[in-house]
Amino acid sequence: MFGDDEDLAVAEDQEIEENDAWAVISAYFEEKGLVRQQLDSFNGFINSSLQEIVDENSLITVTPNNQHNPGQSLEEEAESTTYEIKFGQIYLSKPTFVEADGETVAIFPKEARLRNLTYAAPLYVDLEKRVITRRPGPDGEGEESEEHVTPYDKVFLGDVPIMLRSDYCNLHGRSERDLSDLGECPYDQGGYFIINGSEKVLIAQERMANNHVYVFRKSQPSKYAFQAECRSVCEGSVRASSSMSVRMLSRAGAKKGAGQCIRATLPYIRSDIPLLVVFRALGFTADRDILEHIVYDFGDDAMLEALRPSIEEAFPIGDQEVALDYIGKRGTTVGATRERRVAYARDLLEKEFLPHISMEPACETRKAYFLGYVVHRLLLVALGRRDEDDRDHYGNKRLDLGGPLLANLFRALFRKLGKDTRAHVQRCVDRGREINLTAAVNKDTISRGLKYSLATGNWGVLGGPGELRPGVTQVLNRLTYASTLSHLRRINSPIGREGKLAKPRQLHNTQWGMICPAETPEGQACGLVKNLALMTYVSVGCAAGPLLEFLEECATEALEDIAPGVVARATKILVNGVWVGVHRDPGDLVARLRAMRRHVDIETEVGVVHDIPLRELRLTTDAGRCCRPLFIVQDRRLRVRKRDVVALQARDETGFSWDSLIEAGAIEYVDVEEEETTMMAMSIHDLKAAREDPLHAYSDTYTHCEIHPAMILGVCASIVPFPDHNQSPRNTYQSAMGKQAMGINTIVAIACYSGYNQEDSTMMNQSSIDRGIFRSIFFRSYKTEERKQGSIVQEFIERPSREITAGMRHGTYDKLDDDGIAAPGTRVSGDDVVIGKTSPIPDDGSGMPQRFTKRDCSSSLRHSESGMVDAVLLTTGADGQRFVKMRVRSIRIPQVGDKFASRHGQKGTIGITYTQEDMPFTAEGIVPDLIINPHAIPSRMTIGHLVEALMSKVAACLGKEGDATPFTAVTVEDISTLLHGCGYQQRGWETMYNGHTGRALAAPIFLNPTYYQRLKHMVDDKIHARGRGPVQILTRQPVEGRARDGGLRFGEMERDCIISHGASAFLKERLFDQSDAYRVHVCERCGLIAVANLKKNQYYCTACKNTTGIVAVHLPYACKLLFQELMAMCIAPRMQF
Amino acid sequence: MVAPKAPQFYSPQVKLRSLTEDYCEFVLSNVNASIANALRRVILAEVPTIAIELVEIESNTTVLNDEYIAHRLGLVPFVSSRVHDMKTIYEATEDDDWTDVEFTLNVRCTRDETMNVTSDDLLPADTRFPDVMPVGYDERGSLTRKHKSVLLVKLRKNQELKLRAVARKGIGKDHAKWIPAATVSYQFLPEITINHDLMDTLTDEQKQAFCAADPRKTFRFNQISKAVEIVDPELYMYDGEVLAKAAEMGKPGLIDICQRQDTFIFRVEGTGALTPDDMVLTALDVLSGKLQTFGAELDREGAELADLTHGML
Repeated sequence: MFGDDEDLAVAEDQEIEENDAWAVISAYFEEKGLVRQQLDSFNGFINSSLQEIVDENSLITVTPNNQHNPGQSLEEEAESTTYEIKFGQIYLSKPTFVEADGETVAIFPKEARLRNLTYAAPLYVDLEKRVITRRPGPDGEGEESEEHVTPYDKVFLGDVPIMLRSDYCNLHGRSERDLSDLGECPYDQGGYFIINGSEKVLIAQERMANNHVYVFRKSQPSKYAFQAECRSVCEGSVRASSSMSVRMLSRAGAKKGAGQCIRATLPYIRSDIPLLVVFRALGFTADRDILEHIVYDFGDDAMLEALRPSIEEAFPIGDQEVALDYIGKRGTTVGATRERRVAYARDLLEKEFLPHISMEPACETRKAYFLGYVVHRLLLVALGRRDEDDRDHYGNKRLDLGGPLLANLFRALFRKLGKDTRAHVQRCVDRGREINLTAAVNKDTISRGLKYSLATGNWGVLGGPGELRPGVTQVLNRLTYASTLSHLRRINSPIGREGKLAKPRQLHNTQWGMICPAETPEGQACGLVKNLALMTYVSVGCAAGPLLEFLEECATEALEDIAPGVVARATKILVNGVWVGVHRDPGDLVARLRAMRRHVDIETEVGVVHDIPLRELRLTTDAGRCCRPLFIVQDRRLRVRKRDVVALQARDETGFSWDSLIEAGAIEYVDVEEEETTMMAMSIHDLKAAREDPLHAYSDTYTHCEIHPAMILGVCASIVPFPDHNQSPRNTYQSAMGKQAMGINTIVAIACYSGYNQEDSTMMNQSSIDRGIFRSIFFRSYKTEERKQGSIVQEFIERPSREITAGMRHGTYDKLDDDGIAAPGTRVSGDDVVIGKTSPIPDDGSGMPQRFTKRDCSSSLRHSESGMVDAVLLTTGADGQRFVKMRVRSIRIPQVGDKFASRHGQKGTIGITYTQEDMPFTAEGIVPDLIINPHAIPSRMTIGHLVEALMSKVAACLGKEGDATPFTAVTVEDISTLLHGCGYQQRGWETMYNGHTGRALAAPIFLNPTYYQRLKHMVDDKIHARGRGPVQILTRQPVEGRARDGGLRFGEMERDCIISHGASAFLKERLFDQSDAYRVHVCERCGLIAVANLKKNQYYCTACKNTTGIVAVHLPYACKLLFQELMAMCIAPRMQF
Repeated sequence: MVAPKAPQFYSPQVKLRSLTEDYCEFVLSNVNASIANALRRVILAEVPTIAIELVEIESNTTVLNDEYIAHRLGLVPFVSSRVHDMKTIYEATEDDDWTDVEFTLNVRCTRDETMNVTSDDLLPADTRFPDVMPVGYDERGSLTRKHKSVLLVKLRKNQELKLRAVARKGIGKDHAKWIPAATVSYQFLPEITINHDLMDTLTDEQKQAFCAADPRKTFRFNQISKAVEIVDPELYMYDGEVLAKAAEMGKPGLIDICQRQDTFIFRVEGTGALTPDDMVLTALDVLSGKLQTFGAELDREGAELADLTHGML
């Protein structure tokens, strides 16, 4: 707890202790930081995805179009020319910016932020134009071809926004000193983008994993009882996933005698196909052959029996041709010939059916095996041998981070670019113009597309296929450091917020250690927006190739080479959901794979899941899996030794690092799915227990050990001291509040004392406030630029002169300097003009001299704020225009109404401030800074609050740090004993004296130091009242909102209340006189609105042509508006009296 | 905690126990809590001192903003022995009333290492009042200085701070910077009686445990006489630990502790602005001034009432 440093004279091979885990943990954070997942993902995008995407769609072939016969190539011509454009190597430079004068300079993030620029690096590509001319050979036979190649080196492709602190960022690898010289905070972790000066975070998007087989039980209204589905997506394709499912009819849904048939749903096929028809279409005609692929073990009568109805159902369709035709008939094309139908079905089975297995021809065997496997899984559930799959199991989830998101966007944009380029080249070719590739490649497509999506968060190509996904990027929250970090580790599940289903929102057991159990918002997004736990690693994805090679070497039998009967006796091997083969000694294979991973012979992030009940070995290499590091246990001993920790502690000299631990096989990353096949010890102590007394220990077959259970929490929840002593929602509340807080240690008394702290208000010591407690500085910046409208009309930053400027503001212009900008150090308050700007009024063409030649478009301070001009920046913007940014500072001193909170979800506002002499005091002369009400404690059960306070007192007395980490051995009794030793009541109570009367307070008071936070909600930002003010143009009712000096809504409930009081005069005053009172003149005869000229005392009803009997009527303007709108619709509302 | 007997309030007594430059402890007896508390409150809130009230900043290129520096300057304690000759701006009626003492601060860092700007850099602009200065100012440069200077801000190379500050008289009620004391507090004198008959029923171990229960070590187990003794009743802080211990041992009446309602151990800790004796004496002056005003007001009210009743008759 208050641990003294012991002498570390240890044997080299000694077991590590609980506390040594901290050396490992700090090494991890020192090396990885807290936004590693963002950086890794982005680096993956730049280093591999980018080139892969370009290579995928690298070739554009253009043949000239016959001008008189479009669509047909010029076949008859003797000579044909083909134009090929090939995208080759790409090059990414460091982030640069092209100034308006054409100069290219390296740009640093600070400058991008200040000048509202985009922090992006130019991307270049090597292009190759190949003109192939073919002409028939001189002897009329064969062909002669001539190739003409023109290389274009490093053609500009577009700007790619660069993630801060990534490998391509200008800040990468800089020392702390360099960073502060560059105006960058050394504590900033990067992981975000700067688009037009604003910092944008890519929020990780959660989705279901592809290529997994899920089996669900369907509930009654459905025709089917069970469903097995597989969302199959081929790696690295833009195509939408192709879903395949196999369903079993429910007994109720089945026709008489038909039994529970199994049907398959294929992509693009309108109706379900009987299972065996699909097998026959794949070329397996005999029932026995088919059954072998599904059941594996013919001794399994129950399963064979379950397939009987399906066999009977498909009896009429006996061979492949018939089966293909059966499928083809139910396709999208109607009325095709049998030949075409069969070809269509064959093509569909090859390209669209289970594309992740293969999209090449001759893969029927593998697809049949996989289909059989899906059915097998379905039957296992149907026969009650296995439970249905869990949709919310975190192993079935993947996180799309910046890398995959950007890769998908870039792929779509690059395709669009390719298409546009092709169109351009085609046009050139057809019109016989010279092909200029530099012009053909549109420089804006990629730059603009990436910038648009990152700036707005609408993910996708504007006007492209598919819809835009909103809210993928957000403006980075900079309220406090913790909020920034937490924002960079946020996860969003794009499930409708309205969904009533509670399941996806609930904390799932498998989220242990991956997702913070406390940090989630309250309300609509509860449980859908999540945050990563501290040590979560998100896989970036790696190639499956090496793994497949290894499997082949290790006697894995490919599916094509085995008899189906072998499957029953061997273990299936699936790599990323593709069944690649079987192996007869899985135990050995798994051991070898794990050993290789622990030596980093294969990637550390490869998941090795040996599912013994299913006889499967699932290997995963895909991106977006949540993993976490764990100590590896061998023979009930950790592989980490004391010497490793000692080396780690002296890492500056030894160079030993976290990665060394990984390479040494002491720690490995385990993903959620693999975690389920491990036996985990919660602490090092458990291992010791298992060694010393295996019989009575919880387990003696541990394979892994937690590094520290406190690592299950996220950034914000880790700020809570003793969260393990709190009621869990309190930790959630604090996790939300910590994002808007700044804190300090205060002396807090828990007492009633005069009662000005009821209902979550607090009393604060005014003398402490005078001395500067919780003082904060609030900055707001104002921005203006000299915008050009068209080419001539230009805005101008200056001090507007009243004589020639129209539309001047209410506020004073006196604070402006001669340059039209308020100088730093100027005190400014509500509505003052801080940056003066005018735009010229165009000549009205009348030839008359105009009174005003300019229009005012100055910026003034928000009307409810005041402060001092802190700094002014004068620069040029992205297009070289003059650009001004101004920062206004105001000091916020705590006052009645400001909001404060401890770190345990205990928030409250100041109810009163008392000067020191009025505050209670102890005999030692200690006066509290804050008095909170004891009623805040019992119902909320925030014991952590009290324990924190108690430990703080001990720490203050001893001048040491206390350890408030959760799941450690510290007890209240330990702290109390220490406190007793310091000469205080062991539970933190003190006798206090009333500051007003001087008498002792009857009850002892819990008076201890506590870390308190000031929250951003302050009365000065909220206080609002209005007597009269602006009204809406349309209805003439008061506008809404404090910022617009709006009215306060007198709503239905308030109205009901006044009606029930019978206070009708007051009601009329609120709803009419103080809102939109209006008067019209109405013709008594027809009841329509008449014309009244009050000055001339003339009245006239246009409907009756009548000048008498016209009366004045008072009515709400909104009512008059309604009448007029009705009249516009040919309805005459008549007011009759 | 029952009051032992009717206290004697006729002749308040003060027994000075210690008095140093910034600490004083005395026993105030024959008064009740209201008097002791009045004295405490007046010391905190109404004994005037000198502190910087107005800052005019000419140039500030430091990392801290103007308001921040002004606030820090305000909290610097000033030697206020001559505060009684001064007047606050509200009291001042004559032109020659002494209200302001001016200081200037003009520093610029020219070296590569960080430079500290402290209260020592506040230069008196007015030579007429040499004894009004930041606490510790007269010990500038001394290696054995007792009062360290107050750090205001740190400067990097080429940063500059140039300002004019005006110190004025004020009281703690207006702003905490004018509070003369670090803290003022008192303690009721405890009266502890040990029920020796009951105590004798305890074993030695129990007695020792009993003594150990008090965090302030008010009790001692005498190894020779095997008796529990009181080391010093004043050590006891009314934390109730021993009472709880006695109850736990099943001997609730083991000791009886009560607060003497007429005797206070009074402690004043100074900041260097005023000496504690000055503080207490000034506080008494203020207090008696208040009583006089109150008395005079009562007399006036009484007279008016008498006039009124007389007139009515």
